[in-house]
Amino acid sequence: MTRARPLALYVLAALTLGLVLAGAPQSANAGTPVPISGAGSSWSANAIDQWRRNVNQFGLRVNFVSTGSSDGRNSFKNNTVDYAVSEIPYGLNDNGVADPPPSRGFAYMPIVAGGTSFMYNLKAAGKRITNLRMSGDLLTKIFTGVISRWDDAAVKAENPGLALPARPIVPVVRSDGSGTSAQFTLWMSKQHPDLWNAYCQKMGRAVPCGQTSNYPAKAPFLSLAGSLGVSGYVSQDKNEGTITYVEESYALNTGFPVVKLLNKAGYYVPPDGRNVAVALLGATINADLTQNLVGVYDNPDKRAYPLSSYSYMIVPTKIEGPINANKGYTLGKFAKYFLCEGQNSALELGYSPLPKNLVQAGLDVVKRIPGIDLADADITKSCDNKTFSVPGGIAKTAPFPPECDKRGGPTQCTTGTGGAAKTPTPPKTGGSTGGTTGGTGGATPGGAAAGGPAPTPLPGTAPNPAGGIPTPGIVPGIVPGTTTAVDPDTGLPLPAANTANTGDVAAVPTAIGGGTGSGFSTVLVFLAGMLFCGLVIGPPLAARRLAAQRDEAP
Amino acid sequence: MTTVLPAPVSADAPAEERRSRITSLERSDRIYRSVLRASGVAVLTVMGLVGLFLAIRGGEALHKGGFAFLTTQAWDPDAGNFGIAGVLVGTILIALVAIFFALPLSVGTALYISEYAPRKLQRTLISIVDLMAAVPSVVYGLWGLFFLQGHVQGLARWISTYFGWIPFLQVDGVDRDNALVDVTVYGSSAFIAGMVVALMVTPIACSVMREAFMQAPAGEREGAFALGATKWGMIRSVVLPFGKGGIIGGMMLALGRALGETIAVYLIISIVFTIQPDVLHAGAGQISSLIALRFGEASQFGLSALMAAGLALFLMTLVINFAASSVVARSRSGAESD
Repeated sequence: MTRARPLALYVLAALTLGLVLAGAPQSANAGTPVPISGAGSSWSANAIDQWRRNVNQFGLRVNFVSTGSSDGRNSFKNNTVDYAVSEIPYGLNDNGVADPPPSRGFAYMPIVAGGTSFMYNLKAAGKRITNLRMSGDLLTKIFTGVISRWDDAAVKAENPGLALPARPIVPVVRSDGSGTSAQFTLWMSKQHPDLWNAYCQKMGRAVPCGQTSNYPAKAPFLSLAGSLGVSGYVSQDKNEGTITYVEESYALNTGFPVVKLLNKAGYYVPPDGRNVAVALLGATINADLTQNLVGVYDNPDKRAYPLSSYSYMIVPTKIEGPINANKGYTLGKFAKYFLCEGQNSALELGYSPLPKNLVQAGLDVVKRIPGIDLADADITKSCDNKTFSVPGGIAKTAPFPPECDKRGGPTQCTTGTGGAAKTPTPPKTGGSTGGTTGGTGGATPGGAAAGGPAPTPLPGTAPNPAGGIPTPGIVPGIVPGTTTAVDPDTGLPLPAANTANTGDVAAVPTAIGGGTGSGFSTVLVFLAGMLFCGLVIGPPLAARRLAAQRDEAP
Repeated sequence: MTTVLPAPVSADAPAEERRSRITSLERSDRIYRSVLRASGVAVLTVMGLVGLFLAIRGGEALHKGGFAFLTTQAWDPDAGNFGIAGVLVGTILIALVAIFFALPLSVGTALYISEYAPRKLQRTLISIVDLMAAVPSVVYGLWGLFFLQGHVQGLARWISTYFGWIPFLQVDGVDRDNALVDVTVYGSSAFIAGMVVALMVTPIACSVMREAFMQAPAGEREGAFALGATKWGMIRSVVLPFGKGGIIGGMMLALGRALGETIAVYLIISIVFTIQPDVLHAGAGQISSLIALRFGEASQFGLSALMAAGLALFLMTLVINFAASSVVARSRSGAESD
């Protein structure tokens, strides 16, 4: 037995070496595309992660770490990444400090739109509340500590149909420099400056406070790092009474509801992609493509979600620092993909696709990236963006809010929101954006609460953007060369990313050629896992064996 | 033979012989000695350079902050309002909680392995403890965040309810008459972070202690038995006094590591910059987590302030480790193992 083991090891080693050698030429065949890396916003990270997984099949290796917008902008400035993603541009005054733009050439490119949502964990009589409504004033009071209990009269007044528990409200805010914090505080500073400035002053900041990426907070507020951190905390079953701000996709992934926010027209509206698209019709786009959102906050449309915004990629425009022509080429291909095809999956992921004029503007920015294939900047060439074919854009398809969601009514709509919108049929975890127009007058759908029945509370560690995508007719794992992932929420096998977009809007062709690529990377992942296990378990075992031999020797 | 030798030895010969015995070493010995000396000097140099680097980079912030750097409870370097009072206290609290749990755990484990475990099991246990040390800290952090926290919040609530009269165990702002328990107050705290860190430092402390216990002289053990001691009596009268240096040294090493543990704590705590003495209450501060959190997005001056905070942590850890090594070296077991 002791002799058989080294033999097995040699075989394993030989096999490993063989696989690596066999795999190596394949990656060399990929040609000009080179791996590129980026960092930044966790607000839009779910969309970017989905896109970069999808372009993997074309041989594009795009890396992205969601370390927060502030870190992304800083990393781009310090030449440590090829591109950055940020909710806010450079040069804004944050707590008395201006964030100077980098010296390297750069441009802003809108990548996707979305709604900053308020995800909460609240139960009444053992049942999850999924249809909470709030006005901007109430929301600001909660996040500035003025209102600190769920059974406060102000919360009750907005939610006549709810029995609210006598719990303290625990706002969970971001501890890292965050574009989501910046968007939210910008909205508060414009819409409710008195409340916001009073809070800022209490926290020892200079007033007027304006927007800030670092949310000032102390107990009973909790501050945690990253969108994953805050949404993961709120989504743990025990942490009742918590509320946080994230992009809607995080609520979809964790299966938790989001607040319906009162708009100018007097309706409570969820942050679904179509409502975001309506609201953003009020945005003013500056010459450098950055946004002015005052018109969004006060958009008089009944369907508008006030806290909507665009997210931006900061792309290089010169060959300098870490950028070379091949990297520009890869970035151009990636940008073309997400501005065209990638937008098709935005709604399912919990975002909102860009309107056609911004896609056009974005492709004009692609033109300025050095080293691109010129076809990648042309909207007429292979731009498979299905949202173009919707007459009047995606905003036209937005449903009007039901009358039960009008302010001042005797009761309120009972349908759930966000990740708790649909019944918990496992493949549809997180549901889609369609379930907000109900109002049947019945009880809150019981099953809706369990959009993601998570026995092991792990949603924060391995978010799966594919979780929100219905996959009719796909049997997981039958596509060659794909891995079978397990949904952290449901424990059920998930289809791989490149088979996921089979809904009516998204259509990502599954290239056969991509199969070998992803098969190879699967092998590499597997080998890396084995190596890691070996490194952890190996040394103590080896030491033990050596000791045993030494003891037996004399 | 003996009669032949003294004859040629003249008066000056012995002096020459003695001199040569001191100075002339074999060439291999000389090389070996210089290699050892070089590596020793290299370690010291690197340490010194790290300290120097931190001092230089942090100098700007230290100069601007002055003494207030040690007393301010806020972290807003760009606005000029920053200091490490809160995070320094938080760092020490987390480390103390960690030691509180790690001390009995590691002494018990080390004693069992060295004194009680059967020979076969002994090796397995040593392997397992070594394995614990090899688990990456981010794994401990995720485990603490998603598993331990949910299970410990109840314990924290119980402690604060019945032992809240002890100053640092109280939790303010809780309505105890409310049937709807708000557990978030008991999460993300120094207590939970400290528990996770305790698990991470136990293997190191345990190894040091085990080594010390195993070296307790067999003669004295036999003597204790011969005088009629029970096993526990023998351990109390021989092993524990002999291994005292090992216990203290191991704990100091563990403390040194607990002070600097970053990623697991970063994941668990909700960082606060004010002094938060209630270990069970949500919110804690820690220097290394602060650095990890703010490093990526810091401005030039913010970076300098973080370096200054790092310098404070560096000096504190250095002092503790020196104390530990001197304690170990002075003890009986330490002198023998050295």
